[in-house]
Amino acid sequence: MFQATMLVLVIGLPFCAVFFLGVPAWFGVKMSEETVARIVGGTFILVTLAALALTGCVIVDEHHAKDIDLGSFYSVGEYSFKLTLVGDGLSATFAAFSAILVGVIGVFSRRYLHREPGFFRFYFLLTLFGAGVLTVVLAGNLDLVFFGWELVGVTSALLIAFFHERKKPVEHALRAFLTYRICDVGLLGAAVWLHHKAAATAMVASPDAPWIGFAAPSSERDTLLIALLLLWASMGKAAQMPLGGWLPRAMEGPTPSSAIFYGAISIHLGPYLLLRAGPLIESSAVASAAVVGVGALTAIHAALVGRVQTDIKSSLAYASMAQVGLIFVEIGLGWRLIPLIHIVGHAAVRSHQLLRSPSLLHDHHQLEQAMGGVPRLGGHLQRWIPLSSRARLYRYALERGGFDAILREHIVGGFLSVFTKLDNVERRVARALRSVSPRSNTKGDHS
Amino acid sequence: MIAIGPVSCAVLLLIAAGWTWRMTDCQSARRTATAFASLAVAIAVVCLVAQSMQEPGLGASTLRIAPEGLLGLAPLVTCIAGLTAVALASVADHPPRTLSRILLLFAVALLFLSFDNLVVLFLLWSLSAGIAYTELKSRGDLNGCARLFARYHVPSVLLFGFGALALALGWPGLGVVSMLLAIGVREAVLPAHSWFPRFVEQAPMGIVVAFSATQLGVYAKTRLLAENLSAGAGQSLAAIGAATAVTAAALGLVQVKPRRALAYLVISQTGLVAFGLENRSVVAFSGGLLVLSVLALAVSGFAMTLSALLARRGDLTLETPGGTFARTPRLAVAFLLLGFSTVGFPLTLGFVAEDLLVQGSVAEFPLLGLSLIVATALNGMTVMRAFFTLFSGSDQHEGEMDLVPREKAALSLVMATLLLGGIFPRLVVGLQARSAEGRSITSQPAQYELPERFAPPTQKKAH
Repeated sequence: MFQATMLVLVIGLPFCAVFFLGVPAWFGVKMSEETVARIVGGTFILVTLAALALTGCVIVDEHHAKDIDLGSFYSVGEYSFKLTLVGDGLSATFAAFSAILVGVIGVFSRRYLHREPGFFRFYFLLTLFGAGVLTVVLAGNLDLVFFGWELVGVTSALLIAFFHERKKPVEHALRAFLTYRICDVGLLGAAVWLHHKAAATAMVASPDAPWIGFAAPSSERDTLLIALLLLWASMGKAAQMPLGGWLPRAMEGPTPSSAIFYGAISIHLGPYLLLRAGPLIESSAVASAAVVGVGALTAIHAALVGRVQTDIKSSLAYASMAQVGLIFVEIGLGWRLIPLIHIVGHAAVRSHQLLRSPSLLHDHHQLEQAMGGVPRLGGHLQRWIPLSSRARLYRYALERGGFDAILREHIVGGFLSVFTKLDNVERRVARALRSVSPRSNTKGDHS
Repeated sequence: MIAIGPVSCAVLLLIAAGWTWRMTDCQSARRTATAFASLAVAIAVVCLVAQSMQEPGLGASTLRIAPEGLLGLAPLVTCIAGLTAVALASVADHPPRTLSRILLLFAVALLFLSFDNLVVLFLLWSLSAGIAYTELKSRGDLNGCARLFARYHVPSVLLFGFGALALALGWPGLGVVSMLLAIGVREAVLPAHSWFPRFVEQAPMGIVVAFSATQLGVYAKTRLLAENLSAGAGQSLAAIGAATAVTAAALGLVQVKPRRALAYLVISQTGLVAFGLENRSVVAFSGGLLVLSVLALAVSGFAMTLSALLARRGDLTLETPGGTFARTPRLAVAFLLLGFSTVGFPLTLGFVAEDLLVQGSVAEFPLLGLSLIVATALNGMTVMRAFFTLFSGSDQHEGEMDLVPREKAALSLVMATLLLGGIFPRLVVGLQARSAEGRSITSQPAQYELPERFAPPTQKKAH
């Protein structure tokens, strides 16, 4: 009962805060910065306490996993959208460190964004993001994961475009959102196919796994399909190759949101999903190989490209991408606890680095004074690369592997070009149909 | 069967239409129209509550408070859409006679929900197209828009009339084909859609909402043709619906004018409804009907917020971000939220509707069901692109006003309905599902069971 209450509090409190911030704002009630920060801070302090209590329960509890069925959100016929929450080692760990980090960002941003016109907007979106993340991590089925997943995507895009009066952040936010949407097709597709083949998307316990995960359908082909769809979904959020071009661009948002989204939590939701999909991935050698392949290629690509970045946030973005790539490799190899430790450690370090990034020059000078110079990193690896290949690799890194250009010009551009042509055909048909005489036909379609 | 609730609302709107027709001051006309539309919403709420409290055994009467079964929510949804259309109508685009025609169109839609008689339905169908055409014509043909509209809708009216006649004479095959063609044109299903983007671009937005959000075609199909369609025809229609949803969603993404993007968004969502209503699964059928309600509510709000923005800023483009929401934060929030509701984002009723539609349809049409996921993803991109390009990317503004209290009240009602439906979906879904599982669409006592092809698999086995 206690554990169930904690689960409900962890997921319910952020949604309550969203309500208490959003409704008065819509009706014109202006809140001071202090009030807003207190509501958000207070909420996440309570959520942190509840999440820590939940973690304690999981440690003490012999059964390790506790599902709470809150009934159905809605049901029609045989289909039911179940509100099932899960409190196990994975979800409790993720919930606790997510709540702590959102709280820390809330405290940090109070000064960082002081008197910023978008102060309220930032806190509102941060709270909605927190609600989305906690929904994803505590969800006991894939339907609920999708619910939270979408909230995270929207808040991420809206925060990248936080400085909305400039064009670039807005374009980058749109790019990130489009990538998310393309990849969300995988998540919803997996949920639907799992319903279709296994009649439910709920997670099940496995005797040799440290936490519960999605059950594999009986057919190997379906298992592979669902695993690949989940991999596709996680590649978008985790900025894996070849879809990761949005990540350095996403750093246009305010530093606190960059820290929590792309250094700490949002980027790790991809690996989280794969950890939950462990039984599916392990059931298929192809799926495991695909996860390892994507992760390894991303890690190499990001490590190379990151070395030529000239601004600290892009550099950190590629560093994040490389680490998440390694986490993918670990998951693909069938490890469970190591990726979890890697995620928590990486999230803490990277969010700290991102929060310190505005003070980079200051830190650099301090380090230089203390050490008599800043050590050059990666030289030992560089020695292994033949001289003839260095220029080529340098160009590859500068062009970010050319993936952005290929995606923009050939894949997205090709798709849009087909439908632009179709639209032109439609306009011609409409023009022909509405003209009576050649004279009226010359009026043309100016739109 | 006559449903007196929607008839009362329709009579009220007809009185309002007559009243505003004679007015000269645009703002007074809008105030009057808004007041009457609000009253109609109140009556629709009372009727819905009264209907839900009525004993099922009283269904034998030819008079009912509201349409029973699957169309139970339709009068309220139509009235809320009507209120949104008149409350957010800009005076520049909506002189008193235009407002009067908007009210007339909504009154016609409510009457369409109230009667079963084929002759009456044919007259209402014709009247609706005629009112929209008169509006376009009164504006001087709008660069051929009225002519284009007529070239699609005159055949649509004739086909509907012929179909009704054929059904009445006992030629179901001919009647169904003829009516389906009429409905396809009216609902702008691909490839009979060319009139619609032009119509949305040129006609006053209130007229667009009144003509398209009321979805007479879908209601006609649901009530008149459901029992006459073979399983093969149903599958073909589902395929057309899915193809329309995906193609229109992709076309929406390449538009540079927000009104055209809106047009394709509506076509895509209509495709989803058409697809959902052809499913044998109760889940998908309920989802299709729910998408229909969401479409009427969210699209009317979304279209009218776009109209309000156009009235404030003039011509707009989606080519590059060039707006600001610093001056109009509530308008921006309403635009985004209503757009998200349209395409099924979490915490809105649209999410519930599209989830039911996709989950229910995948068993019967696996590939088509999965293609709907692509359509909803593309529609989401269109909404976000429109939001970013219209409300961000610049610090320049023209001193435009945010929502005035009248607009805010109307949008609050629409948004509250969609959000409450999304947060507490069991009420709405339960109502629809109960109807889908056990009652007929037309609510005639002799047909209380679903037609064979709409029965859930378990029920079919039992038979």
